Amino acid sequence: MASDASEVVRVEEVVKDFRPGFGLRVKRVLHGISFQVRRGEIFGFVGPNGAGKTTTLKILMGLIQSTGGSASILGSDVRETDFRKHVGFLPENPYFYDFLTGREILRFYAKLSGVPAESREERVDTLLDWVGLSHAADARLRTYSKGMLQRTGIAQALVHDPDVIFLDEPMSGLDPIGRMEIRNLILRLRGEGKTVFMNTHILSDVEMLCDRVAVIVHGRIRYEGRIEEFVNDEGRMSELVVSGVAPEVAQRIEEQMGGELRGHGERIAIRLREKHVGEALQLVLGAGADVVSVTPERVTLEEIFLNAVEEGEKDSPGSGARPVRSLHDAAGAAAGISRTAEGGR
Amino acid sequence: MIVRVFTIAQNTVREAIRNKLLYTLLFFAIALIGTGVLISTLSYVESERILQDVGLAAIRLMSVGIAVFVGVGLIHGEVERRTIYTILSKPVSRVEFLVGKYFGLVFTTWLMLGVMAIAFAVVSLGYGAPLDGGHGVCFFLVGMELVVIVAAATLFSSFTTPMLASLFTVGVYLLGHLSRDLRLLGEQAKSESVKPVADFLFQLLPDLESFNVTIEAVHQLPIPAAEVGWATLYGLGYATVLLILASYLFSRRDFR
Repeated sequence: MASDASEVVRVEEVVKDFRPGFGLRVKRVLHGISFQVRRGEIFGFVGPNGAGKTTTLKILMGLIQSTGGSASILGSDVRETDFRKHVGFLPENPYFYDFLTGREILRFYAKLSGVPAESREERVDTLLDWVGLSHAADARLRTYSKGMLQRTGIAQALVHDPDVIFLDEPMSGLDPIGRMEIRNLILRLRGEGKTVFMNTHILSDVEMLCDRVAVIVHGRIRYEGRIEEFVNDEGRMSELVVSGVAPEVAQRIEEQMGGELRGHGERIAIRLREKHVGEALQLVLGAGADVVSVTPERVTLEEIFLNAVEEGEKDSPGSGARPVRSLHDAAGAAAGISRTAEGGR
Repeated sequence: MIVRVFTIAQNTVREAIRNKLLYTLLFFAIALIGTGVLISTLSYVESERILQDVGLAAIRLMSVGIAVFVGVGLIHGEVERRTIYTILSKPVSRVEFLVGKYFGLVFTTWLMLGVMAIAFAVVSLGYGAPLDGGHGVCFFLVGMELVVIVAAATLFSSFTTPMLASLFTVGVYLLGHLSRDLRLLGEQAKSESVKPVADFLFQLLPDLESFNVTIEAVHQLPIPAAEVGWATLYGLGYATVLLILASYLFSRRDFR
């Protein structure tokens, strides 16, 4: 398998079948998914419940075995174990040995991860401090709240100073302050050069934190790409509503700037790329026409996500896999949804 | 590898000794050893031997009880509570995890056996019953029997529910003590087809009577060293085979 040095995670054509019950019937939950995570980025793995996010993460963590395809982390096959000393993992709603104290559980994970005895205690204390659990370090985990258990989960994932961290729904069960703290922690990890893979369905977190995302629906990757691909100014569209513009000016905007014209008579709406807005405004105002409004179209990740889910619903089950699309295409499709919705109002 | 296995074993012991069920079973075991005093008073002759017979039977029974009740839930509990997720995401192989759990449980049952042996010695000395090396050998072989029973509990626990694992383990314990009778039955059977079946079952099931020297210990009869050595090798060999099988099944399992 060819592997790029900048690739931390590589998933290629991974298939997973489950056999529900004892029958011969097989249920395919992953349909040959492929994606890559690059060094130093925060990668969001997004999808609705039951899409295959946790199954994919469990394959990467060696908890379940894929039926086909290959997956590697830091160049090692996920079925190996030695490379895991460079990997941290926070499962969804983590549960730990509740008969241990916070300090004991971190000591336990540090030992399993091969943290040297001489630096173990210091590392445990540092992590307890990082996640704000120093005050409860010697209390049994059965007395911890859900938020405290989540912090313990983050601490155990980081106790051996891994290079790549996998987080399954890291904000689950946290209050707004807790979520903000975890967000800051994730950004801090990226600042330290770590790679973060985040399974989530909280899209605001993805928009705020992630460099790249992959959207999975019904076990198929629908989109994969950089967040900037659809939110940057180059690709973003705006709507310009003008009044009293001469037909030849409108025609010039349409031809030279790729503007789409709607409406007739006194007032027309022109939809064009945001980079051409300034030029179009100069032209319109220079021709003595009035500008009624300029409205940037903001395509949100939520719209893209809903579009992906809608397409996934149409395709599944039984249809063949569709090719992975770029986020830019997705943004276009999602913008279409937005416009239709606006038009309907 | 050794550090990881030791860490998991150590944690398993810690989990077991912080489990209230263990102390309940231990309390009953010590109470049963104590009832030997009452039962022995019913007889005018050999009351010391009755006391020790009852005491050793209680120890054997309760040791297996502890192995089954604490053992079968250990691996299933890890999967059910998803504690296994974070452990296997560390550089810990499934075999290391399983072997660590096994050693931890064996050590726990030995620890409990040690406490029961002390209770037995206190009751025996208090009653004036003799104690010698034979009793020590008897306890050692109970310990070897536990090595096999815990391996069986680990095997069943690696692929099925605690309820079924308990039933299977108790089944292995009962059949293991009857396997010699089974072979004898085959030899005496008139049907030719019964003998190979009985022989096969004898080979397949553990011969747990190899670890039973209660009569020799109570009656202060000699216990040949070769017999003890053979039983030890047999126990270790049988447990190793069970653990290899358990590791194979556990390695193929999906934790959904």
